[in-house]
Amino acid sequence: MTVFTCKDSFEAMMTCIYAAWASGIGHDDVRLQLEPVFQRELFCTYVHVEADVQKTEKVVSAIQKKISYEAYRQVFLASVSCGEDRLDAIYRFLVLGFSVGAKLTGMLFRPEVMWVLELSRKAANEANFFREFTRFALADGIYVAHIEPKCNIVAVTAEHFADRMPSARWMIIDDQRRIAAVHPADCPFYMTELSGEELRRLKETEAEKDAYTGLWIEFFQTTGIEARKNPGCQRNHMPLWYRRHMTEFLV
Amino acid sequence: MKIASELSLQEKLHILADGAKYDVACTSSGADRRGRKGCLGNAVAAGICHSFASDGRCISLLKILLTNHCIYDCKYCINRCTNDIARAAFTPREVCELTTEFYRRNYIEGLFLSSGVWNSPAFTMERLCETLYLLRNVYHFNGYIHVKAIPGAPDELLAAAGYLADRMSINLELPTGESMKKLAPNKNHNMILRPMRMMADTIAQHRLAAGKSAQMERSRSNRYLTGSIFSKERLEQTGRVAGNTQPAKTQGTKTYALQKMGKTEWKQPFVPAGQSTQMIIGATPETDYHLLRTTQYLYQNYDLKRVFYSAYVPLNEDGALPAPDTPVPLLREHRLYQADWLLRFYGFSADELLSEQRPNFNEELDPKCDWALRHLERFPVEVNTAQYETLLRVPGVGPKSALRIVQSRRYGKLDFAHLKRMGVVLKRAHYFLTCDGKMM
Ligand code: SF4
Repeated sequence: MTVFTCKDSFEAMMTCIYAAWASGIGHDDVRLQLEPVFQRELFCTYVHVEADVQKTEKVVSAIQKKISYEAYRQVFLASVSCGEDRLDAIYRFLVLGFSVGAKLTGMLFRPEVMWVLELSRKAANEANFFREFTRFALADGIYVAHIEPKCNIVAVTAEHFADRMPSARWMIIDDQRRIAAVHPADCPFYMTELSGEELRRLKETEAEKDAYTGLWIEFFQTTGIEARKNPGCQRNHMPLWYRRHMTEFLV
Repeated sequence: MKIASELSLQEKLHILADGAKYDVACTSSGADRRGRKGCLGNAVAAGICHSFASDGRCISLLKILLTNHCIYDCKYCINRCTNDIARAAFTPREVCELTTEFYRRNYIEGLFLSSGVWNSPAFTMERLCETLYLLRNVYHFNGYIHVKAIPGAPDELLAAAGYLADRMSINLELPTGESMKKLAPNKNHNMILRPMRMMADTIAQHRLAAGKSAQMERSRSNRYLTGSIFSKERLEQTGRVAGNTQPAKTQGTKTYALQKMGKTEWKQPFVPAGQSTQMIIGATPETDYHLLRTTQYLYQNYDLKRVFYSAYVPLNEDGALPAPDTPVPLLREHRLYQADWLLRFYGFSADELLSEQRPNFNEELDPKCDWALRHLERFPVEVNTAQYETLLRVPGVGPKSALRIVQSRRYGKLDFAHLKRMGVVLKRAHYFLTCDGKMM
């Protein structure tokens, strides 16, 4: 068994898929795994693959042309989801896809297809959650948000806000992964990594309160109807875990 | 009591959010609009929720009154003129600043602006329009706006609001004339249905001018359903015409487009997310059957995008109202919403679900299960061959899972494990389904 490994980024994963395919070893005799690899298995050869832009483009265009755009969408979302074995799942999905073509995503009775669909749904759902629950606080003229998603969806979330607030300065920080989407006024956003010190400084923005924080809490508390109080229902819709960075629950 | 001018913004917000919260419409759906440079906001067709209040209802819009001053005396309403409560009014700028600042922090998806009737319907509607105009043109707000149409306001003002808002609503509140006379003595059905009709016709004309169908978009599932209340055949029975034709005009009505507007203005969006309304549940003796038929009538004849139900919450003591300790009929409200869902997404009609003989929903069973148990002769259905329409009638199967079934069975036979992964709720569905002839 040969195990191809790579870093946790979309480019690295696509390049890894390219390498495994091009190796000619045979699909049954390769496995794809994300790094870090903590426990190496005996009798396996490990091959590390570095991200490569051209190979990534080749794989992406092959998926779009030979399978479908929908398949590409699912692959992308699955790649940012949080299943540990998602890279291998994507590989199996594509092996089937390159043999059946456009009907791939309709073949829900095949485990490979269902697996990637589930991973992509997990990421899409979480990105949707953060469209709703991301909260910005104003600090030095910049609207700053902190999130801690399970999937790596900060860029997907930022797309949404880039359309919505094109002329504002804002940033969304993934506190766990220490990455941020930074959006200058009237420019596209870019992704950046944050040092521990930068993150610590930016974390303070969350404690920042301006006039509108208090007004929002006033509204939030007033708009619930006492005679219909239903904390169970509130919790179902908004798991406690998501509330960590939400202004109205920080009080 | 403090006089209005001394109130802080926070105190005003408290009073005016408190007075608005009994309007249950909360969605920000129906409009799809990209962001624009220099502006703030966009709109997403499915709507976005931003939080959930202590009562479990979603918070999507900043739902406030412009003022809770009111010259009317609707018995059920907290703001009625005979109540001795703190009164306040926002200035248009205060509303704009709250909306845009909340929006930038991603607290809300937009504004829901309602109002008591302040001095007169015309005066109130004018203040509402002024506020929206400022919000759109000075604050460059491009997000979602839902605004109330004030019954009795002049047509031009309602039209002006229609060009500024995404959704407008005028609440029917009570489905019969008698109930209305008793509980809302200053209003009558004509004051509500006339503007609703004119809005509906004006929306249809703008849609046609923009190259769309006259009728509002409905859930995709309706395209595959022959018996849906929105199908061409069913709409023709009601006298309203479906498809790409002129909306049927009732005699004597006109549409709202402003006289001074040239031809091109027809291309401007006019209430792109459509109209909605709400009815109060449990303050008056109407049955579920009556309410659901009214709902269907409003969908078919006024092309309303949504009909909301508001379980009656006793706020005032009044001989004409149920006793103050009457429990809030939440389950009844829930059943009506489930039935409304069946009309809009599942191809059911009101007469299939209830009748004069069975005028109220079963407390223990949801309306779809209840219907299925009364029609056991139609089950079980075979997953690998049944029509989409038939699959949708199976308890535990929704529009999404039905679509997945139809799509994937083309490539191979489905079994119960597949169904489960496609989102079918087998706990309920397995009594009504077979896979390749076998029950689970
Ligand atoms: S018109 Fe009736 S329902 Fe509306 S605010 Fe006044 S009293 Fe309340």
